[in-house]
Parts: sequence; structure tokens; C-alpha cells
Amino acid sequence: MGKLFNKSPAVRRYMRRYIPAMAVYVAVIFGVSWAFNRFAPTGPLAWLLALAPAVPILFVIAALGLYLKEEADEFVRGMMIESMLWGIGVIMAVMTVWGFLELYAKAPHLSAFWAFPLFCIAMGVAQQFVRRRYR
Amino acid sequence: MKNRLKVLRAERDWSQADLADRLEVSRQTVNALETGKYDPSLPLAFKIARLFGQPIETIFDDGEA
Repeated sequence: MGKLFNKSPAVRRYMRRYIPAMAVYVAVIFGVSWAFNRFAPTGPLAWLLALAPAVPILFVIAALGLYLKEEADEFVRGMMIESMLWGIGVIMAVMTVWGFLELYAKAPHLSAFWAFPLFCIAMGVAQQFVRRRYR
Repeated sequence: MKNRLKVLRAERDWSQADLADRLEVSRQTVNALETGKYDPSLPLAFKIARLFGQPIETIFDDGEA
């Protein structure tokens, strides 16, 4: 999150939640992909396995919420909230536009799990602009 | 909102980082406050006033008075 934020204990706590969650996510993605390729599970087991990669992502979403709660610097928190709103706006715009393209123009299907990574990218880009505006 | 933070800080010979430490905020926050790009919350304004030993209205000027 940039050099100026190094001091914030809330950021450090966020990173301590985010990094292990992403490590688990990568491991689970590989494990689940392997299991589906190997055993082609069906029924409830397939549902459970398919849900597994979502768990660490939900954890990261919760960690973002906790970060906002724990960030003691109100200005930094405000910039973060602004960036998140940009992320939400961008993802809603992308999903709306793409949804209609899929419906009427036979655009390739965009899986819903892209919502969170796209949100993160949009938020990250927005952060740079928001920060620059207050410099 | 206009404010006298930069002057008050200079009088005490503090850097932005010194002031940031004293207010327990980031240096970036001090910069945004000094340039008037960010108006502090009431609790932070009180903290600033207490640190400089002056009333809020002598530090911040909303241009109304």
C-alpha cells in the first residue's frame, strides 16, 4: 500500500491477514483444480470443493472491512474508502456493460468470480489518483 | 479550510513528520491538513488545538467570520 503507509498498525494487521489468506487461496486453487481433473467429483462433494477457493477470498473481503475499522488515521481511512467506492463503481459498470454484451451480442461469458479481482485492480488504480489529488 | 498549521509548526521548528508523530497520524495527513485539502474531524481538530495550546478558531478559519 505504499511507503507512506508503512507506519500504520492497521495496514500491518491487514497484511498479516491478507498474505496467509492468499497463500491458502493459491494452495486451494491448485488442490481443487487437481481434484476436479483427477476425480471429476459430482453432487455435494463437487459443491463443497467448488466453494473452497471462495473461503480465503471471503476472508480477504472481511480483512478489508476490518482494516477500515482499525485504521486510526482518519484521512488515510477516508482515502481508502474513496478508493473502494471507485472500485465498487467500476465493477458495477463493467458487470452491467458486459452483461448486456453477453445477453445481446454473444460476448464471451465473464465468470462472476472476476468481480473481486477486478474490484481490487480498480481500487488500486483509484488509490493512486486519490492520493495524488491530496498531495 | 484555511489554517495556521504550517506557521504554528514552523514556530516550534517541527518537521511535518514531527507533527505527524505528535498527532499520531501519517505525514501525508499533516500535508493534506496544512494545504487545506483536508479538513480534520472534530476530535482531530481538538487534538491539534490542544497540542498547540490554542482554541480551534484561532487555528482554523472557515472564512465565515
